[in-house]
Amino acid sequence: MANTLRPYLAAVRSTLTAAMTLENFASQVVERHNKPEVEAAQSIEVLLNPLVISRNENEQVLIEPSINSIRLSIKIKQADDIERILCHMFTRFMTGRAESFIILRRKPVKGYDISFLVTNFHSETMLKHKLVDFIIQFMEDVDKEISEMKLSLNARARIVAESYLTTFG
Amino acid sequence: MILLESHNVIIENTLTEKFQKPSALDVQFVDYDGVRFHLSTPERKSVLLLSMNIRCWEELVKYGAQDVIQREYGKWIAPSVEPEYNVSLQFDTDQVPEGEERAAFIHSVALMKRNALAAPFERAFLKQYQLESIPAPIDGSAREEGELMQIHYRDEEAIYIRASHDRVTVIFSTMFKEETDRITGRVFLQEFVDARRLPSIQNAPQVLYSNREPPLEIRHLSGLKDTEDVGYVTFVLFPRHFATPDTAAATISRIQLFRDYLHYHIKCSKAYMHSRMRHRVTEFLKVLNRAKMETAGEKERKTITGRSLRSFR
Amino acid sequence: MALLAPIISDNGSGYSKIGFAGNSDPSFVFPTAIATRENQVSAAGGGSRAPSIPSKPGHLASKRGIEDLDFYIGDEAFSKPGYGVHYPIRHGLIENWDHMERYWEQSIFKYLRAEPEDHYFLLTEPPLNPPENRENTAEIFFESFNIQGLYIAVQAVLALAASWSSNKVTDRTLTGTVIDSGDGVTHVIPVAEGYVIGSAIKHIPIAGRDITQFVQMLLRERGETATIPPEDQLRVAQKVKEDYSYVCQDIVKEFRKYDAEPYKYFERYEGEHSVTGRKYGIDVGFERFLAPEIFFNPEIYSSDFLTPLPEVVDNVIQQSPIDVRRGLYRNIVLSGGSTMFDHFGQRLRRDLKQIVDKRVAASEVASGAHMRSSGVEVNVISHKRQRYAVWFGGSLLASLPEFYSYCHTKADYDEVGPSICRRYTIFGSAT
Repeated sequence: MANTLRPYLAAVRSTLTAAMTLENFASQVVERHNKPEVEAAQSIEVLLNPLVISRNENEQVLIEPSINSIRLSIKIKQADDIERILCHMFTRFMTGRAESFIILRRKPVKGYDISFLVTNFHSETMLKHKLVDFIIQFMEDVDKEISEMKLSLNARARIVAESYLTTFG
Repeated sequence: MILLESHNVIIENTLTEKFQKPSALDVQFVDYDGVRFHLSTPERKSVLLLSMNIRCWEELVKYGAQDVIQREYGKWIAPSVEPEYNVSLQFDTDQVPEGEERAAFIHSVALMKRNALAAPFERAFLKQYQLESIPAPIDGSAREEGELMQIHYRDEEAIYIRASHDRVTVIFSTMFKEETDRITGRVFLQEFVDARRLPSIQNAPQVLYSNREPPLEIRHLSGLKDTEDVGYVTFVLFPRHFATPDTAAATISRIQLFRDYLHYHIKCSKAYMHSRMRHRVTEFLKVLNRAKMETAGEKERKTITGRSLRSFR
Repeated sequence: MALLAPIISDNGSGYSKIGFAGNSDPSFVFPTAIATRENQVSAAGGGSRAPSIPSKPGHLASKRGIEDLDFYIGDEAFSKPGYGVHYPIRHGLIENWDHMERYWEQSIFKYLRAEPEDHYFLLTEPPLNPPENRENTAEIFFESFNIQGLYIAVQAVLALAASWSSNKVTDRTLTGTVIDSGDGVTHVIPVAEGYVIGSAIKHIPIAGRDITQFVQMLLRERGETATIPPEDQLRVAQKVKEDYSYVCQDIVKEFRKYDAEPYKYFERYEGEHSVTGRKYGIDVGFERFLAPEIFFNPEIYSSDFLTPLPEVVDNVIQQSPIDVRRGLYRNIVLSGGSTMFDHFGQRLRRDLKQIVDKRVAASEVASGAHMRSSGVEVNVISHKRQRYAVWFGGSLLASLPEFYSYCHTKADYDEVGPSICRRYTIFGSAT
């Protein structure tokens, strides 16, 4: 499995780099508004084709580009119930702090676990390749973190059970 | 702190203080599993009244809790029970023992809840001993078993205890309100079941866990919930776990707090996960902040009132 | 389920006051300190990233993977060798959430022995607490502890509620000025209808610790400390402050009184060396009334902060909206251990009244004697529960039946998320 991880991330990286060509674009529908078109979805002509990069059915990335914004949604690997709740805990913890995460969307796109929304204002004030780096690093680390959390949960459970049972002479 | 203690810290602290220096007092507090205490000086400063309310008192009385309380606290039991409470003890500060005896006495009072809940366990241990001496029927029919004792110690959870000729079975029904807790709880319980494989704890009671499905012993009972969030934990205690009075006492103290122990550790794990996530999130933020361009040179311009100007985009 | 008493937890920078609603005193008062193992990067360092050095076998810490349970809180924290003590709260604000979460965990399970799932909680926050902190708190309490409901109250408002226990208070209002003086800092906080007027809050860098130091200084100057062993000096000074000090009405007269009849007013303090048990005694003299005097004449102690407390209170009220000022003058409430001196309230009231009357007189003159003022009522409320006023106020509010309707419940939290705690439901409005 591990050997498919690298091409998967590489594909995400290059797609994202290519897709993140954003420019300032005022809303065509509402005067004096400037919204991320991918969210507003009011002018179809400025939306580009969304694409899915999939490692397997549990790990996918959905990239939805548009003229002034790009939305990236990640489905995080969840092999069992424990990973599912850990993943849920973790994404909720992050979205709770979306304020400081600038590009984090508070609510994931349906069917995915976490979404990022990069607008042209972000790409103007932040370095594009570093943004991509962040996304890739996030994808790498989140899997690692969840599996580590799962391991430590199991380890804790074992210690807890042992400590309890050893007290019975 | 891995293991929970059996004694109540508030009782211990307050009594220690008040025995030394009596003064008027009226406090209410709780213990695990919805036990309520009321410690007061209704008449005069030197007479303390400690009352306890346990939800499942009636059941406990049926299984001999009154006798245990009588045995433990004998002369301290108050002549009348305070309304709304189940047991009352009364201490005259002039009569309590002195010195080291006093510390031991206070400690035993702090174990009041433990002692009340110990009654059905003690009864089961005794019953097992009696059953053991009855030889097995020759015709091969089932051996006699003790009565199934039910203690509904929480609203939706109960302890079932049954003695048979070679063991005492203790079944906890567990209920998890939260999905996270349920899944975490299941991980923990699974480890309880597996832990016995370790050579160092071969002597521990056997633990069985079933989700949803009630164990055979209590399947005939009515009113058992059948939902996803219900589980049953069975402890099989063998005679060696209550061979001497000391081990029996330790076993009782330990097993009573099983549920609280489990829930305490589920919560601790969540707290630990939170710490981890906090750490991870700050790491991520560091990476993200690296992407920010340095706004070198131009300082933020402000108006005279201190507001900052933002250019229109 | 029969509701069990809500748990009130007032975590200050120095001490935590924890107990059950309905009682008049907290069940536990201990330092907000947590001791963790030194040689391990605490949980903040992330378990697996910083593998800890395995310590003595047989001990809790030797069980890898559960190091985060190896800690002590409160008084116990100071008596454990090999552990480092941390203070998770600084200046009233929670700084280290990892430590705080574990601190709460142990205070609930080890000390209160309560199953948090069965209880409502009332927590306190300092004025001007950032909303993020409330969210984090809510996250911990609802997600880690699964509590039934949560109410986060501003400390000053609770102190106001605590003053309802005084028989001088007739109407139960949540308007008033709170003078909260603890160990580290003194706040003067105006509250209108339960809302803190944040822009007018003032802090005074004089509080309990300074008084103790001042007493120590006075004793040293008079040469009384010669008989006290050096390690006990601070403790003795504290004892003198707590047991013998009072606020005088006129400092010059008081000095004269003491000079005329020293034997009547001087007290004798008998101490015992904490280690060797050697007895010693000192005379307690002018310290008795000079110690709390630093609130009213700060120049005798500090050279940086020179505004007397009554003046600060007056400034605070003058900076508040004009329509609530009467209410603020009428209801000045004391809270915290350092306001416990005898006659503290009377003195404050008198000094403040003078300032106010002077201003009223001046404005009458300025108006050319055409306008007569009806005068401003100044009241300072002292009551028995002053020391743990904030906790007591919480206990009082949480024992009201309507408390539950003001709480954010677990169901609300699950529906809305942590941001629900940004909404501040003002309690009571008992009118």
